[in-house]
Amino acid sequence: MASDSGSSSGFLLELDDIRAGYGRAALVLRGLTVRVPAGAIVCLVGPNGAGKSTVLKVASGLLTPRSGRILVDGEDVTGRGPQRMLAAGVAHVLQGHSVFREMTVAENVLLGGYTLRDKALVAERAAFVRDLFPVVAQRWTSLAGLLSGGQQKQVEFARSLMVGPRVVLLDEPSMGLDPRATGVVFEQIVRMRDAGTAVLLVEQNARRALEAADTGCVLDLGRVHVSGPAEELLADSRLGELYLGVRP
Amino acid sequence: MRRGSDTRLIHLGALLAAAAIALSFPSMAPSPYEITVGIAILNYAVLSTSWNFVGGFTGYISLGHGAFAGLGAYGTGLLVARAGLPPFAALFTAAALVALIAVPVGYAALRVRGASFVIVSIALVLILLLVFQSWASFTGGSRGLVVPRPFPGMLRAEHHRTFYFLFLALLAVTLSAWWVIDRSRFGMGLKAIREDEDKAQSLGIPTYSYKLVVFVVSAAFTALAGGLYALWFGDLDPVFQFSVLGGAYMVLMALLGGVRHLYGPLLGAVAVGYALEYAKVEYGDTPLHLVVAGLLLGVVVMFMPDGVIPAATALIGRFRRSGETSIREVTAAELRERREQPNRTEVKDGERSGT
Repeated sequence: MASDSGSSSGFLLELDDIRAGYGRAALVLRGLTVRVPAGAIVCLVGPNGAGKSTVLKVASGLLTPRSGRILVDGEDVTGRGPQRMLAAGVAHVLQGHSVFREMTVAENVLLGGYTLRDKALVAERAAFVRDLFPVVAQRWTSLAGLLSGGQQKQVEFARSLMVGPRVVLLDEPSMGLDPRATGVVFEQIVRMRDAGTAVLLVEQNARRALEAADTGCVLDLGRVHVSGPAEELLADSRLGELYLGVRP
Repeated sequence: MRRGSDTRLIHLGALLAAAAIALSFPSMAPSPYEITVGIAILNYAVLSTSWNFVGGFTGYISLGHGAFAGLGAYGTGLLVARAGLPPFAALFTAAALVALIAVPVGYAALRVRGASFVIVSIALVLILLLVFQSWASFTGGSRGLVVPRPFPGMLRAEHHRTFYFLFLALLAVTLSAWWVIDRSRFGMGLKAIREDEDKAQSLGIPTYSYKLVVFVVSAAFTALAGGLYALWFGDLDPVFQFSVLGGAYMVLMALLGGVRHLYGPLLGAVAVGYALEYAKVEYGDTPLHLVVAGLLLGVVVMFMPDGVIPAATALIGRFRRSGETSIREVTAAELRERREQPNRTEVKDGERSGT
């Protein structure tokens, strides 16, 4: 996991020995450690209930861990709320469709940069995301609710990039999409990575996600069961049978 | 591009025509009575547009805005009658005081959403009704409050004509303020709150502060309408001023025209205001005007939940777009073009088909 990050550890985002759960219920994450290098896609796969979405909630500050540390570029940000995590460079694209349906694509995207005061910077970022996601540029003045599921997902990606995050957390980006739309969405995730943003991806469509990712982590019972280069995980027939679904 | 500039020209033409009709109405009215109907409709238009600062931008439905209209009316009346302030100084002072009162009210009420907010807003009207009825030594109680006329030497017809133009000016200012907010960064944040408050907060929008600011602005404009009504009508009754029905009329008018449109509440005020006045004239003191209001509300909710203006805009858009395809469809020509150009990139393909 080589990295060009400025931190001494070489990772942009580190979740170190995280234990977390909801309320007084049993722990969902039990000593989980995940590291995301700069400019890479790290994919979390695993069965339902493994704690994949909970990892993203902890990373974005929506859920405070009971123990463990969260580091962004080497800085300890454990316990910070969502807005401060956003300021630290961690953007979270939630599961399902979360566009503002009655607002235009332009308004949706510009809302992503709402905390930015510099108008020139907002215009620069808007131009960048319009260039990165052509469908966003094409549908700029359309109501977001009129877009298809795949297009809405790209608007969400564009919105998340407006604050110039160093890491984007994507929760089930292919949920509810047909295979063709899923293909376009994964192409856009790779383009985000190629544009310099690290991605921590949670996905049920494990095989498709690992094909796009650089590193894969297989979660089970709240901790990382296996991790390594994504292509190696894909080639492991035993893992394939257990977690990825055997190819027909 | 051409269609956009055409639309702007149509909008400008319609605005100028409406302004010309509104300005010439007092000269064309056959008797002072018609002017009083015009004033009542303009008053409704200011009230419902003021309500729409909160309802339209944030989606919070307040049935208690009658309280701010009543406070504005009584505040103006009391400042003139008891403190001896000049009428228009009293009007603006009362609006400023109502804005101050709206801060703690909004601070408490905006902590809850949905039905809870509606109930809190109704409670405000009922509490104020009790206070203004019971505190007879100061407010006049159930006997009401007589507000001295601002232009004592003026004949009744001229009095109505003058107030018609004052209400028209207040409406223009209120609409302008709504328009400015609608196009501002602040307005974009408010609309995000209306769509999904939690999501808006996660994007860094200070949702609570924004709601409070727009609530206070809304209260101030509502108070100005109430105060101007007091100076025009000259006689205030707490049962009429602090009425849940008043707030309900504001909601009905805004919903009828369309809460997301600048002119929605104005259009609703013209329709509902005229219907109410007609029912009162034709059927006297019977509660038929309430039946009319109820029927209108039913029609809006069932057939035009977004209001008349969005429904009409959608209808016009449907005619304009006839011959075009929806974003999910692919025309036969496009399919033929694709077959002839198999080397098109997959990304373009996916976008064209609506993925």
